[in-house]
Amino acid sequence: MTGLNLAHRFKKTTDLPNRADEGNAGDKNQAPAVPDGLLSRCNKCRKSIYTAQVKEAGYICPHCGGYFRMPVRKRIALLTEPDGFEEWDIGMAVENPLNYKGYPEKVQMLREKYDLDEAVLTGLAQIGSQKAALAVMDGRFLMGSMGHIVGEKITRAVERATRMKLPVIILSCSGGARMQEGMTSLMQMAKTSAALKRHSDAGLLYISVLTDPTMGGVTASFAMLGDVILAEPKALIGFAGPRVIEQTIGQKLPKGFQKAEFLLEHGFLDGIVPRMEMKNELERLLKLHENLAEGQRAFHVKPIQKSKREQKEALLAGEGSPETEETPAAQKKITSTLTPWERVQISRKKDRPVGRDYLNKLFTGFMELHGDRCGGDDPALTGGIALFRGCPVTVLVQKKGKSTTENVDCRFGMMSPEGYRKALRLMKEAEKFHRPVICLVDTPGAFCGMEAEERGQGEAIARNLFELSGLKVPVLSLNIGEGGSGGALALALADEVWMLENSVYSVLSPEGYAAILWKDASLAEEAANLMKMTAPQLKAAGVVERVFAEPKQYTTDTMETVCRQIRQEIGRFLAEKSDMTEKELLEQRYERYRKF
Amino acid sequence: MIRKVLIANRGEIAVRIIRACREMGIRTVAVYSEADRSALHTQLADEAVCIGPAPARDSYLNMEQIISATLISGADSIHPGVGFLSENSNFARLCEHCNITFIGPDSQVMERLGNKVTAKQTMQAAGVPVIPGTEEPVLDAQEGLAAAKRVGYPVMIKAALGGGGKGMRVAENAEEFEASFQTAQTEARQAFGDGTMYLEHFVRNPRHIEFQILADRHGHVVHLGERDCSMQRGHQKVIEESPSPALDEELRSAMGKAAVAAAKAAGYQNAGTIEFLLTKEKNFYFMEMNTRIQVEHPVTEWVTGIDLIKEQIRIADGEELPFAQEDIQIQGHAIECRINAEDPARGFLPSPGTIEELYLPGGKGVRIDSAIYSGYTVPPYYDSMLAKLIVHARTRQGAIRKMKRALGEIIIEGICTNVDFQYELMEDDRFLEGNFDINYLERRNVK
Repeated sequence: MTGLNLAHRFKKTTDLPNRADEGNAGDKNQAPAVPDGLLSRCNKCRKSIYTAQVKEAGYICPHCGGYFRMPVRKRIALLTEPDGFEEWDIGMAVENPLNYKGYPEKVQMLREKYDLDEAVLTGLAQIGSQKAALAVMDGRFLMGSMGHIVGEKITRAVERATRMKLPVIILSCSGGARMQEGMTSLMQMAKTSAALKRHSDAGLLYISVLTDPTMGGVTASFAMLGDVILAEPKALIGFAGPRVIEQTIGQKLPKGFQKAEFLLEHGFLDGIVPRMEMKNELERLLKLHENLAEGQRAFHVKPIQKSKREQKEALLAGEGSPETEETPAAQKKITSTLTPWERVQISRKKDRPVGRDYLNKLFTGFMELHGDRCGGDDPALTGGIALFRGCPVTVLVQKKGKSTTENVDCRFGMMSPEGYRKALRLMKEAEKFHRPVICLVDTPGAFCGMEAEERGQGEAIARNLFELSGLKVPVLSLNIGEGGSGGALALALADEVWMLENSVYSVLSPEGYAAILWKDASLAEEAANLMKMTAPQLKAAGVVERVFAEPKQYTTDTMETVCRQIRQEIGRFLAEKSDMTEKELLEQRYERYRKF
Repeated sequence: MIRKVLIANRGEIAVRIIRACREMGIRTVAVYSEADRSALHTQLADEAVCIGPAPARDSYLNMEQIISATLISGADSIHPGVGFLSENSNFARLCEHCNITFIGPDSQVMERLGNKVTAKQTMQAAGVPVIPGTEEPVLDAQEGLAAAKRVGYPVMIKAALGGGGKGMRVAENAEEFEASFQTAQTEARQAFGDGTMYLEHFVRNPRHIEFQILADRHGHVVHLGERDCSMQRGHQKVIEESPSPALDEELRSAMGKAAVAAAKAAGYQNAGTIEFLLTKEKNFYFMEMNTRIQVEHPVTEWVTGIDLIKEQIRIADGEELPFAQEDIQIQGHAIECRINAEDPARGFLPSPGTIEELYLPGGKGVRIDSAIYSGYTVPPYYDSMLAKLIVHARTRQGAIRKMKRALGEIIIEGICTNVDFQYELMEDDRFLEGNFDINYLERRNVK
């Protein structure tokens, strides 16, 4: 086949007299031209961009999606309601502790140039329906460095928030300490951290948002102290700057080093939030932490905008859903007569619902929080805050997948020390905000390997038992599949422990048990029949309080009937526990384990 | 005065614009992506500038490159065509800042009409009927029940943050409302973490009727009658015709007046289209305004005898419309079929590739707007339309016969097309009767 070649075969346009006559002269001002500043170039992808459009659309490159640094007032406008920001502490006088030549003049020049007081603006912000003390830094002002005014304004804002019982949100953007001020700058790190400690001790929420760049003394003080720490995608976050590190160690740093994604992977961020979603995420977080510090007795699960009585009714009733009709008495009895070994096999079935299925069925509005803040984020544990019938609860889920790929990603639900430490961090966060903790257990056991031992697998599990025994909020643990030994117990030292009919809970896998006692893993069936590891057996032994019957074929399609009962029981559990004092709760939990 | 136009588009619409310019003695500059080097529009224009790699976002959607191409080639104006940047108010604004005549409305009007909420408010204020709905968010079922009564059943319940059909339910009556609302809200909460809902009157199986308008810079606005675009498949128009078999003179006049009022209310200039939904009871509601030329503009050109592209250029040049509403006469009946590179046997999957043999029909009352030729390779990057076949006859029946005759002559070898599917539609009883709505083709395909 030969195609038609069109090149140079068409006639060109012949000017009509009335158009040609006008010539090309015209007014020079009328000739098409690009005015200065109309277009600029993206410093990331080098493509040309329409400046005004980029500014209107949140300072984001339309080509590569890269973020530009944002002037502080634009940032505030993006986060707050119109007229929803009342600025605090304007016009503080600059000091020059080192008598650094030209420093006050430079500050004065920047103040005029950007119509800005300093590298931070603080004030009272209205974010959706929520109020918070908000501090936002501006990198244009001496690279957002922390001098005495920055430190003072942040400290005052935090102190004021403590007095007003308000949450604090700080958006960092800073190169670190302000060299021109010497030691005065270093002291700001201590001062701001101390103010945040008092704010935290008052039971108040602090959300830290890290934007590009957050470095040095700012990272090493207020930026890393949030109850929740979020970052913008690809933001550079670190203590020592990448160039300093490269020079010191004489090596090139890997791509993505010290970027937000790197920090998330290493457990220092709760999440990465795109710029245009930040306001919604902040509002959601504020709502989930709403008003729980106020002289409330511990673990009074206070649902949003409801009185205590209404809340209790909501917990018990399930808000008018058909669940009300089912009383606990109507709960199905365990009638099946499977052998323990059969139950072990069912507990490991591939099509059995996994943690995330329950997360969707039992709760709403789940917000995942990442990281142990010590160096890792374990993919085998999903943790975060969700709503149960309107009440915020902290949910910790041992994660199994539905395919081999998914299971490799979440390590078949086998947690590492960083997983237990993430769980502990979120438990303590729940305690601070008087929020019940609900754990979903499904693990063959804690991760077995060199790395896990190096980082203290045993210590991490022990620490969880130690802390859980005294956690001042209700703790509930539900075993949905495999409860493998200490790896499961670290999420199952609770006020009540429940199991699904065909879940198992044991000191060791039957295979391991047989291998240790009889040196033959193939005797697993005999071991299972001996170990008393099934739900009915453990209920009889007083290890668990409640067992939920399963339909014959238990899959995501048939799980609703079971979940209905679980929801009803969770409602009862929370309502019951909210009537107890902290002391009663802890005493009961102590006795629960003391008896063994 | 416009002397040189850069066409920021490709395919048949770019060719259509180049042809109009040539007849007016206006020089043309084509822009093309690396995949369109041998495309007809690239070859046909007086000059051509490459603006980037094949993906549209790197070429035909790259505003800055197109502005650069305009300045380099010395063009004084840009015709955006359809799709791509044609309804991007930022692009129109960029042209304004650079002293480039944008052949279309000005950027502010475009922006206002591009926002569904403000567009609806503008139309309501101008007395143009809009679909009744709640303006304030609805948070619970009781509140919703009262609002639903005002809106009128059936009611569509929609999540404020909705998308992809999630958090969306239709309630037929008050009995159903509460359950539907709960389900939709629960779904919305689960999917978007937010239970803010809106209600809107639900129009079942309406027709899509649109009115072409022209507005000059001197305050004159006329409408050029309607196009019936109800023959759709997967939200894509398949067949368009003018006049619509569903309108009588009285309704045409009422809708035409509403269209003119809508354009005036928006302060609109240049060619535009007002889309209406028409119910079985012959109620019509404003849907949106398209602030550009449309693919199906030739059917209007044929029944009115007006060249819409040339009028667009004249209006952009500041000329007055050379006719008034009473001069517009709708004559005969025109139908357009879109010929696409797609495979009806495989769910209308796009079918790019090389056209090995090509024969396109002609004869009295047959027009073909296309950018294909023998040996042309249809690239996979852009939409799959190959050609528009438009016919004109004295009556609708005559036009359908002519269309069937012309479709029967088309030969396109090497790729799959929907020509046979279109041919079948010319024998479809419901189409012949003129008795169809926007969901008819979907229902027919299911059968």
